[in-house]
Amino acid sequence: MMATVVEGLEVGTQLPPMKIRFTRERLVRYAGASTDFNPIHYSEYYAARMGLPGVIAHGMLTMGTALRVVTNWVGDPSRVISYAVRFTRPVVVPDDTDGVEVNFSGSVSAIDGSLVTVSLEAISDGQRVLGAARAEVDLGVRVPHRDHENAP
Amino acid sequence: MAITEAHAGRRYSPIDPYEVSAAKIAEFATALDDDNPRYRGESAIAPPTFAALIASPAWNQIFGDPELELSVERIVHGDQRFTFMRPLRAGDVVVATASIDRVRVRGGAELISATVDITGRDAEPICTAQATFSHARQAVT
Repeated sequence: MMATVVEGLEVGTQLPPMKIRFTRERLVRYAGASTDFNPIHYSEYYAARMGLPGVIAHGMLTMGTALRVVTNWVGDPSRVISYAVRFTRPVVVPDDTDGVEVNFSGSVSAIDGSLVTVSLEAISDGQRVLGAARAEVDLGVRVPHRDHENAP
Repeated sequence: MAITEAHAGRRYSPIDPYEVSAAKIAEFATALDDDNPRYRGESAIAPPTFAALIASPAWNQIFGDPELELSVERIVHGDQRFTFMRPLRAGDVVVATASIDRVRVRGGAELISATVDITGRDAEPICTAQATFSHARQAVT
């Protein structure tokens, strides 16, 4: 399993991206599961009172969903040893069937022995909604130095 | 008095122990639409960001601290970092302890950097959650 992840891995390797739809139903589910019942995540009235253009997704829902790019790739979520994001822009979720699409992607930005850093992107409506999103994964096996192997 | 830079270093008492259940892990994974098999069954591990659910009552201690005079509805989550010593697992009984690392006043907002330490039995370190919250001193509208 880990051998297939490590094979050919180098800085710049792209992880399989994901297109995800956030709907109001998802926000309600996440509110219940996370116990974050801030009304800006389900009430237009409270969202407007906070100066928001509409009901917005929980930042932690976006953060948690983005990490699926990494855990889908590595398979074993216990390999994740750190994960950090900045919440740069709210994701407005309309009250309709389609909700809003968020595009998640990731690429390897550093390799140090068995430690691999993945930089993540989350884009909604053409805008980055997460900044400086990075997950560090310990693959448990050293990633071969392709630079050296490929040197002429 | 309201929150000031002098509140850096304030440490709160641990929240009541929280027992991680397989059912809550599965509910959380489903909320993330994540079908990873490691999040299912009696020996499930929790999705990494499940740590926020455990940290949240500890954050609420800060937000509700009467001396800081914060309005919870004017608090925005600015950034979040988790460091994992090991994954949370079904059956873990954990406690979360919050402390304020730094307070910066920027215009009409206070930036509050806080750490929540999540520990298991015998104070085993499991996860550290570091966050910055922005608190608007005046209502936005």
